[in-house]
Amino acid sequence: MKAAFYSLTSCEGCLTTLITNLGPNLEALWRIFDIDYFKLVREPVGGDKVPRVDIAFVEGAVVTSLDRRRISRIRENSSFIVALGTCASCGNIAYSASRSVDLTRRRLKDLEVFEAEPLSSYVNVDFELSGCPVSAEEFTEALLRLLNGIEPKQPDFSVCYECKLKGNRCLLEVGRVCLGPLAMGGCGAACTSVGAPCYSCRGPAIEADLDAYLKTIKRHGIEEGKAMSAIRAFTGKKITELLKDGQR
Amino acid sequence: MDRDERMHVNENEVILDTNELRLIEGHGRLTVRLSGSRIEAEFRNLEGPRFLTSYLRGKPAEMAPLVASRICGLCYTAHSINAAEAVEEALGITPDEGVVELRRLLYLANNLRSHMMHLLFLSLPPIKGLISVLRLREKDLVAAGTRLLSTSTQLIEYWGGRSVHVPNVVVGGFGALVRGRELMESIKKLESLRGDAKLFVEHVLEMELPELERFRTMLSLKAENYPTYAREAPLAVNDGSTITDEEYVSELEEVVREYSTSKHAYFRGSEATVGALPRIMLNRRKLKPEAREYAERIEWRINPFLMVKAQAVELMHYLEEIIETGERLSETTIVPNGFPSPGIGKKAQVNPCFSDRDGKGIAIAEAPRGTLCHVCEIEGGLIKDYRVYTPTAVNSKSIEVDSVEMVKKFRPLGSEKLKYVLEDLVRCYDPCLSCAVSLDFLSDR
Repeated sequence: MKAAFYSLTSCEGCLTTLITNLGPNLEALWRIFDIDYFKLVREPVGGDKVPRVDIAFVEGAVVTSLDRRRISRIRENSSFIVALGTCASCGNIAYSASRSVDLTRRRLKDLEVFEAEPLSSYVNVDFELSGCPVSAEEFTEALLRLLNGIEPKQPDFSVCYECKLKGNRCLLEVGRVCLGPLAMGGCGAACTSVGAPCYSCRGPAIEADLDAYLKTIKRHGIEEGKAMSAIRAFTGKKITELLKDGQR
Repeated sequence: MDRDERMHVNENEVILDTNELRLIEGHGRLTVRLSGSRIEAEFRNLEGPRFLTSYLRGKPAEMAPLVASRICGLCYTAHSINAAEAVEEALGITPDEGVVELRRLLYLANNLRSHMMHLLFLSLPPIKGLISVLRLREKDLVAAGTRLLSTSTQLIEYWGGRSVHVPNVVVGGFGALVRGRELMESIKKLESLRGDAKLFVEHVLEMELPELERFRTMLSLKAENYPTYAREAPLAVNDGSTITDEEYVSELEEVVREYSTSKHAYFRGSEATVGALPRIMLNRRKLKPEAREYAERIEWRINPFLMVKAQAVELMHYLEEIIETGERLSETTIVPNGFPSPGIGKKAQVNPCFSDRDGKGIAIAEAPRGTLCHVCEIEGGLIKDYRVYTPTAVNSKSIEVDSVEMVKKFRPLGSEKLKYVLEDLVRCYDPCLSCAVSLDFLSDR
């Protein structure tokens, strides 16, 4: 089997997470796959050419003309595309940030900058692995499933679920904006476990219910405006789905 | 290649083009042109801007560390800590000594991790003519490097709350209770890796590197200890003078390049170099004993290729300082807001983030790639302006001037070979284009 690891516009934190967290097991990937392209780990075979592969892992959002060309070539040459991380699955902070910047002077000498979009705005994506950064454990699980011909799955629980399991104090109860009830779990409640509120960096949970959430925060005396501003930070394009459901 | 990229070839002759630079953080390209009799280099950032600093405008001040962290997947800890400090300075918050010490510890672990990643994965293999770290024949070296990389990552994960993008770094201090004893325990594992570090450093110090000496302005933080993170510290310039952080910011000029998504940051209207080499050249005497011993072996000259060796020496220093700092912190407990005070040992309280003040704050520290500067203006608890001057933005001009020198000096090699050496040169600066693009070409000043 052939695999490739690409990077579009991002901080490359997802690939570095895989590299450092897989540690000595990184090499094992080469025993499973033939990998011609792995940003940060090897020089690509064939230079800028996009190799034909069975599974392509792509981190980053589509922002530049270069990204646009690359993602369409990746789609043409890959049987299965996995979006790696929140930039690739939702557009991350860049999604709303690029929409509040004046892009009229977007053209450089040989590059153009567009509003940030997740991969799915341009091509069909077969599976999305969210997270800012992506979790190495989830990646491994998805990989094992793919290798065995089983469809990988996204976490079907919210951050609240994991946070409660850890026995953390609820931040909503102390009047802080926390998006835990709306956010897709799987991160092990990393932020709330150190007392920082959840910003839903993995996008909305599968059954996120905005109306119920807004009712809850109202009960705790939290301003709706503050919560809405926080929701727009990481969820990127997926916020539109959430807002449609909530009729806002 | 692409049509629009070929269009410009006719204007003046392209004599060298690396295409997309391999094994660097982000997307970039180096083009060298002959315009008349002059050779010109263009270090082009092709990474798309994510407008994180513009995003922060109008947002609550406490969001700064969280968003700034996303600037880079390699030195996120540095960005988070600088952001927290810039906000604190703007709001007039002075963190407790214990908080500053633990931040320094995280900074050191982050620099160690980033250097290891850069040396092992990005720089060494191509210098040795290999396509990947996995092809290195010295398996013990790879194993040693991997151990250091994962142990420093574990340290960041344990105290930062996650291995990449650390949520525990907040304005005022830390979000979770930090016990000094636990801290000591977590560092013990690193202590056993001294041998690995030695093996690695010695290997790098013995490598043969090209000669490319050229004088230019160099900058580094000047602190009591070897500079990494310090709350109040001036900057040293290699003409013997020192400047304050405010002077530094006022001397920086943002220059738009029509071929790059990131601006170049000029210092005093011209180039300056920051990074491991300037740090060593300006602060060698402050290195910890073992690192200093290694540093004495090298004749330090302003040759950008020596950045690799400087980083190797720093690896040893960071390891030594982490262990020392850990010992100092063993009696300290850092108590976040609203936590019941445990009442043992030295206590450091975390300050609340005031929501209604105004002010301006500058945070400068020595991130892995060099002097990192965050500037933050706050009005009524909301961020009014946020700017990030990254080491790569400062170094961009030096990379171009050095590339021209390189082409002049090594032209007989022929462009095919020269292309590889040029890529090595760029890589020695350890550029991070994801970081650099936080000073995007559309941002106004």
